Amino acid sequence: MASDVSAAGSRRTARHERRALWKGLAFASPFLLGFVVFIAYPMVASGYYSFTDFNLFQSPTWVGLANYRHMFSDSTFWQALWNTLFMTAVGVPLTIIIGLAGAHVLNFPIKGQPIYRALVYVPVIVPIVVGSYLWRWMLNSQYGYVDRLLQLLGLPQPAWLTEPAWGKPAILLIALWTIGSTLLIYLAAIRDVPQELYEAAQLDGAGSWRRFVNITWPRLTPVTLFQIIVVMISYLQIFTQPYLLTQANAVGNGAAASGGAGNSMLSLSMYLFENAFSFLKMGYASAMAWVLFVLTLLITLILLWSSKLWVHYDNND
Amino acid sequence: MTVRKSRHRRAATALAASAVGLALAISGCSAGGSGSGSGKTTITFSYLWTGNEAAALQQIVADFNKSQSQITVDAVSNPDQTKQLSSMASMNGSFDVSDSYGSNVGSWASKGILEPLGGYGIDTSDFIPSVLAQDEYQGKLYAIPIATQEYKLLYNKTLFAQAGITSPPTTMDEFAQDIAKTTKTTAGGTITQLGLGTSSAYDLLSTLAYVFGGQWDTDGKPSPTNAGNIAAMNWYKTNVLDKYGASNIAKFESGYGEYMTAQDPFYTGKIAMTLDGEWQSANIAKTAPNLKWGVADIPAASPALANATQTYSSMFFIPVNSKHKQAAATFLKYLTGPQAMLSFTKAIGNLPARTSLLDAKAYNSLPGFDVWLQGLKSKNLFAFAPSTYATQYQADLTTAFSDFVLGTQSAQAAMASVGQKAASYGQ
Repeated sequence: MASDVSAAGSRRTARHERRALWKGLAFASPFLLGFVVFIAYPMVASGYYSFTDFNLFQSPTWVGLANYRHMFSDSTFWQALWNTLFMTAVGVPLTIIIGLAGAHVLNFPIKGQPIYRALVYVPVIVPIVVGSYLWRWMLNSQYGYVDRLLQLLGLPQPAWLTEPAWGKPAILLIALWTIGSTLLIYLAAIRDVPQELYEAAQLDGAGSWRRFVNITWPRLTPVTLFQIIVVMISYLQIFTQPYLLTQANAVGNGAAASGGAGNSMLSLSMYLFENAFSFLKMGYASAMAWVLFVLTLLITLILLWSSKLWVHYDNND
Repeated sequence: MTVRKSRHRRAATALAASAVGLALAISGCSAGGSGSGSGKTTITFSYLWTGNEAAALQQIVADFNKSQSQITVDAVSNPDQTKQLSSMASMNGSFDVSDSYGSNVGSWASKGILEPLGGYGIDTSDFIPSVLAQDEYQGKLYAIPIATQEYKLLYNKTLFAQAGITSPPTTMDEFAQDIAKTTKTTAGGTITQLGLGTSSAYDLLSTLAYVFGGQWDTDGKPSPTNAGNIAAMNWYKTNVLDKYGASNIAKFESGYGEYMTAQDPFYTGKIAMTLDGEWQSANIAKTAPNLKWGVADIPAASPALANATQTYSSMFFIPVNSKHKQAAATFLKYLTGPQAMLSFTKAIGNLPARTSLLDAKAYNSLPGFDVWLQGLKSKNLFAFAPSTYATQYQADLTTAFSDFVLGTQSAQAAMASVGQKAASYGQ
């Protein structure tokens, strides 16, 4: 009798759990459906297309590793990859350093502090297309304010958009202009550091640099890890700024947009887009997308692995 | 009982939530289309143009709709070429007629997304042969040109007068001399005025090749290293790049204002001569009305190449997934007919694609336009061949020309690098 009751009870529990599972799935179905249709399926499909010759309009033809092999001999691909990695390698540290320094400046208890905080965020809410066009003007050596300012300071005025050496710095300048999000996240993290830690350190005679190294920085490392990963991904996928800076002037003779002087501003995403929608080489573009994905994944995994060495969490679990 | 009701209610809510999710997803995937209703066939005309060009097209569509009892055209401006392609890739397209450039015909026709127009009774006898040829692929007609673009030599009359030049150059030697006379530099080599300049090295060098007898395609294959192409690039190197310094020129170009705005370097007198198209006539009148400018044939390297220049064309096509091809063809005939072509090309300041319109007085109000119109009668009109590789080829040439004008590669090396890339276009 006791075992009957127990069996009936466990059946009820199992039924209840199944019902709860179905209800949960039903409520989550809009997301699940969206995930399958808009993320999972396109990913699987692009993986398949990367092994095919596919032009959007005709059935894909299986070519094995030909698209990946072609990448090795495609000098434009290597140039785009180099440009992208260069911008990432320079842009990520710069974003972190400027963001961290700026957050400290915005944390000073000075008059009008909220206004300054709002001002650094303004570029973030300017549409990226508008911002990029604005910078095209700002970087013009005759009409632009950037070279005018450099002239006033007695510094050389580079030809930002026509000399290959200055193309990537121009893109970095535009990207750094929208540093407001990074800066505000750091500001919030800085304000989260308990004041008593600083007071105790001060009592022990610690100066401001020592307080930063031993208190502030360790408390900011989890946020820094997050910021590095997010900023790194955005640089690896950079498209809009270089695309708009290099848009061809031609009224429209069918020539695809170039990558700027000597292809110095051609990013991997731009070249991928060009192959997919201008040259209609969707298979090759898919292969490039997978290379970019694997590259991003690898760098992220390395960062996560390295975080054990330099990221400090409150609980040491 | 209350518990059961509550459970039912929660289950119903969950079902409703999932149904809403499904409905949202499905509605997101649905697409509109053209169809028949109230006896008339409605077709969709989707075009990439915006602004003045779109307004001119809307007027033509309104006139067509007024004249029709069988067909109604629903015209929409949609400047997103990616959307245009994705519509053509689906079973049910969202339009029946659209536009693009002749350079896309070869690639699109080879992929089977353009409807061959041979069976629709379209009379092509009046079209300029070299322009119509840009819309043919492997002997079949896939599109009809609406407008032609042609490059000529534009010069600033004020700067010419200041330099003591009384007429535009007619030979390559005179051209070189006029470049030297109208270029101004400081003692340190900084350029303050350039004799021959451009906002697009691609446009300048790809056109200049034709006046040296160059060809960008030979026997249906890319021929970037053609002797004429190299000769044209070397002429530019001798008379511009070497004389004034590639880096000085790059520095000078970095001060150019946006093309076709009031700050365009030709409009502001920063460059004395340029190779540009007929659209400049209407645009200069509107944007830089005080500019004193003239237009002439580009000097040629030999008499046999007189009036040699580059053309390209804008065209209309019917996608193969159109559900109303016959009605679309009827509209296409009207759209590219003499009357509609005249009103459209005049409104946007482009050249017509019909020989019967080359002497039309309606264009007289456009300054200098007659030079371009008469130029279309030349036997030396050239264009990139309609091919499967045209877009990629032009992109690679753009990069190579950029390297060349920066002085990082010789003409031969730059074109050889394009040749190497061209070998993999089929892959």
